[in-house]
Amino acid sequence: MSYKKNWNLVISAFVIVGILLAGCAPTKSAPTAAPAAGGTLRWSLEGINELPALDPPLAGASQSVGVISLVFEGLVRLDSDLNIAPAGAESWDVKDGGKTFIFHIRKDLKFADGSPVTAEDFAYSLNRAFSPDFANGNAGYYLSNIIGSTDVTEGKAATVSGVKVIDPQTLEIDLQVPSVYFLYQLTFPASFVVSKKAIEANPTNWTDTAFGTGPFMVKEWKHNQSITLIPNPNYWLGKPQVSEIEMPFIQDPATALKLYQTGELDIMGTYNFPTDQLPSVSASPDFKQVNQFFVTYIGFNNARPPFDNVKVRQAFAKAVDKATLINKVLEGAVVQADTLIPPGMPGFNESAAKIQELSLAEAKSLLAEAGYPDGKDFPKVSFTINNQDPNYAKIAATLQQMWKENLGVDVEINTEELSKFNDDLTATANNPTDAAALSFYISVWGADYPDPQNFVSQQLRTDVGNNNGHYSNAEFDKLVDQADVEPDQTKRLPMYQQAEQIALTEIGWLPLYYGKANLLISSKVQGIVVTPQGLFPQGDWTKVTVGK
Amino acid sequence: MWRTILRRALSLIFVLFSVTFLTFIVSYLAPGDPVRNMMGGRQDPVRYVFLRHLYGLDQPWFQQYATFVLHLFQGNLGYSFKYPERPVWDLIATGVPVSLKLGLLALTLSLLIGVPVGIFAAVHQSTWKDTSIMGAMLALYSIPSFVMIPIVWVIDLALYKAGLPYLPVAGWGTPLHVILPVLVLAAANVGFIARIMRNSMLEVMRQDFIRTARAKGLPERLVLRRHVFRNALLPLLTVLGPATAFLITGAFVVENLFAIPGIGYLSIQAIGQRDYPVIQATTILLALSVVLMNMITDFGYTLADPRVRIE
Repeated sequence: MSYKKNWNLVISAFVIVGILLAGCAPTKSAPTAAPAAGGTLRWSLEGINELPALDPPLAGASQSVGVISLVFEGLVRLDSDLNIAPAGAESWDVKDGGKTFIFHIRKDLKFADGSPVTAEDFAYSLNRAFSPDFANGNAGYYLSNIIGSTDVTEGKAATVSGVKVIDPQTLEIDLQVPSVYFLYQLTFPASFVVSKKAIEANPTNWTDTAFGTGPFMVKEWKHNQSITLIPNPNYWLGKPQVSEIEMPFIQDPATALKLYQTGELDIMGTYNFPTDQLPSVSASPDFKQVNQFFVTYIGFNNARPPFDNVKVRQAFAKAVDKATLINKVLEGAVVQADTLIPPGMPGFNESAAKIQELSLAEAKSLLAEAGYPDGKDFPKVSFTINNQDPNYAKIAATLQQMWKENLGVDVEINTEELSKFNDDLTATANNPTDAAALSFYISVWGADYPDPQNFVSQQLRTDVGNNNGHYSNAEFDKLVDQADVEPDQTKRLPMYQQAEQIALTEIGWLPLYYGKANLLISSKVQGIVVTPQGLFPQGDWTKVTVGK
Repeated sequence: MWRTILRRALSLIFVLFSVTFLTFIVSYLAPGDPVRNMMGGRQDPVRYVFLRHLYGLDQPWFQQYATFVLHLFQGNLGYSFKYPERPVWDLIATGVPVSLKLGLLALTLSLLIGVPVGIFAAVHQSTWKDTSIMGAMLALYSIPSFVMIPIVWVIDLALYKAGLPYLPVAGWGTPLHVILPVLVLAAANVGFIARIMRNSMLEVMRQDFIRTARAKGLPERLVLRRHVFRNALLPLLTVLGPATAFLITGAFVVENLFAIPGIGYLSIQAIGQRDYPVIQATTILLALSVVLMNMITDFGYTLADPRVRIE
């Protein structure tokens, strides 16, 4: 009897498969829907299988920041030249030497559901972002300069005392110390305005149909699969023309490329690109490449021998042939970096590039001056890399050879799993003389906002959080402290440039290369602008269309 | 028989309990700090301490484990590290039916192809037909899916470029999206099942009662259908457990490369991101499915084969 049962099972399974196969007779797969007025934009989110977050204070991963920037907006935004431009605030006044910001909220600014947006909504959104509920969000990191914000984060107060609603159209924000880049920090999602009504109506799942004051709103978020956006009819710049943005989550960028090549996507590569496939696409007219504000550098432990000696750091830097490294070893997939402030960012100074230039003679004499002629008696040092980026191993091996040949120094390569590496880097930051502390290592930094403060003061000022290698120079500190609060950009940028010169000369960092963003954008997509940050910020979404 | 089932059920609990402990302790001992990972480039010591406390990571390991097991019994899988404020179950729930559909279709397809192919090879034992078919099956069995998928893609892309009908190279949602992943996932299993089926057929063909059947003048066709085939199907039951495990491991690669929103897809990213609560949940879920499948197999076997029952 039991055999019969088995047969029933097999037969019914056969029927099921038959039905499925019949349902998918091998016809050419057409796009799911006929393109409407402005067309559907199909745009992959690579490197994820689920959108990490859509609630603005939780924005962290670049994919989240990307989608949030389509749905939400704050007081100000960046235009496609990376300058501050009005958004929710029509205009603003800066008072008290950069400590007080008065924002004039756009009249008849509306949420996508049509309800009006006032200064109260911005205040609500800021208070919410700082609340302990968002402890793993980023408001504290970006905006802790606002008076009273830490009290809210620590649960001592419910509202941020430095955020004041003057009238429905006016919002005042008070800072502890004057800041020029505060406006840039407001362009990061943490402070974007959210609808209290929508959140309170559905506190747990409101993001499934999220809307704000951005150009689009969420139509459907299929968890672990895709998110679909539709235009915000009440967007202050007008309703965007594209009828829909379909954004599938695709873990493997090679998969996204295949989908693009079979016409299933209009934009791919925004978040990750299979670089080994570059040769096969680089000739295509759809292919776009931009330099990014994303640097890969060598950091040194300035608190422990031998790299506490500036001459040793200089010798190591001058012995690195970056051109060979970038062009031969990395096959030109990246751009050589010689400065702290990346090209394209305000304050970029081309002449600073000469400071760390390759010079074998200088490198040798510097090492001799440090007490190690021809690398004699040089202590054993480990060069630590993580295994996340396959290029690191190639780079490390090349550098190892350069230091051996050019300086006569033996360097041991230490490859660590990313999490272990992060732990060791933290150990280095906490206690640089600890046994677990690294000697020198490859690390990265990507811009949070296009201001030199983010690349100079926030990286190498004595005791700032990102200064893992404990570089310290009193004059550098003085310059960046002044520059950080100087309201006049024409005075401010030269101060950063002076500081940059000091840090480059003393090898606070040894920058290696800037990343390149590789994108494929179908010719059907019109009006989209590629910026140094990739496809963000996009100046005007209402101009983007998708043809047939 | 009930005693057998009871014993199996008890061992199931033991196995699952061990799985919870192993996944927990491996996660706990793994180098790297999940909170640091979570915080990325924006490290703030106060927030660090707060987050460690929030996720209970500041407790000693045995306490963490006790909480973990307690919550598990309450059906609470905890909160994801990676997706802020999202319960793990919420993340997994949508993936379960997807993986189940993919796995069941692949299993059915591999049985539908593997069984007849195995029989055919056994009947033509030691002829060129047998050798070539079994060679092909061995190849299917041994080509890993991460090699198979790019090959399939190249073919598909060529079809697209030639303007011929082609299948979507990735994604999920329409019946068309199902075909390629199911084919790839089933491929290795087809090889596996065909080989088992063939061996099982040959094993039965050597038995005394087959010789008796032939001796009493039964036509070969009837011998095969009534005596050999029915008996040869039995060992196939035992294969279902390992085949399920096989499909699950395969699903990790297939779901990842085809961007299918199943459990395997979620697990891979969770592993990369040190999202321990999600890793633990998916591991337990997958372990449960393998153990259950094994149990069902045993149960089915006991029903089907009187000899097992007596033991």
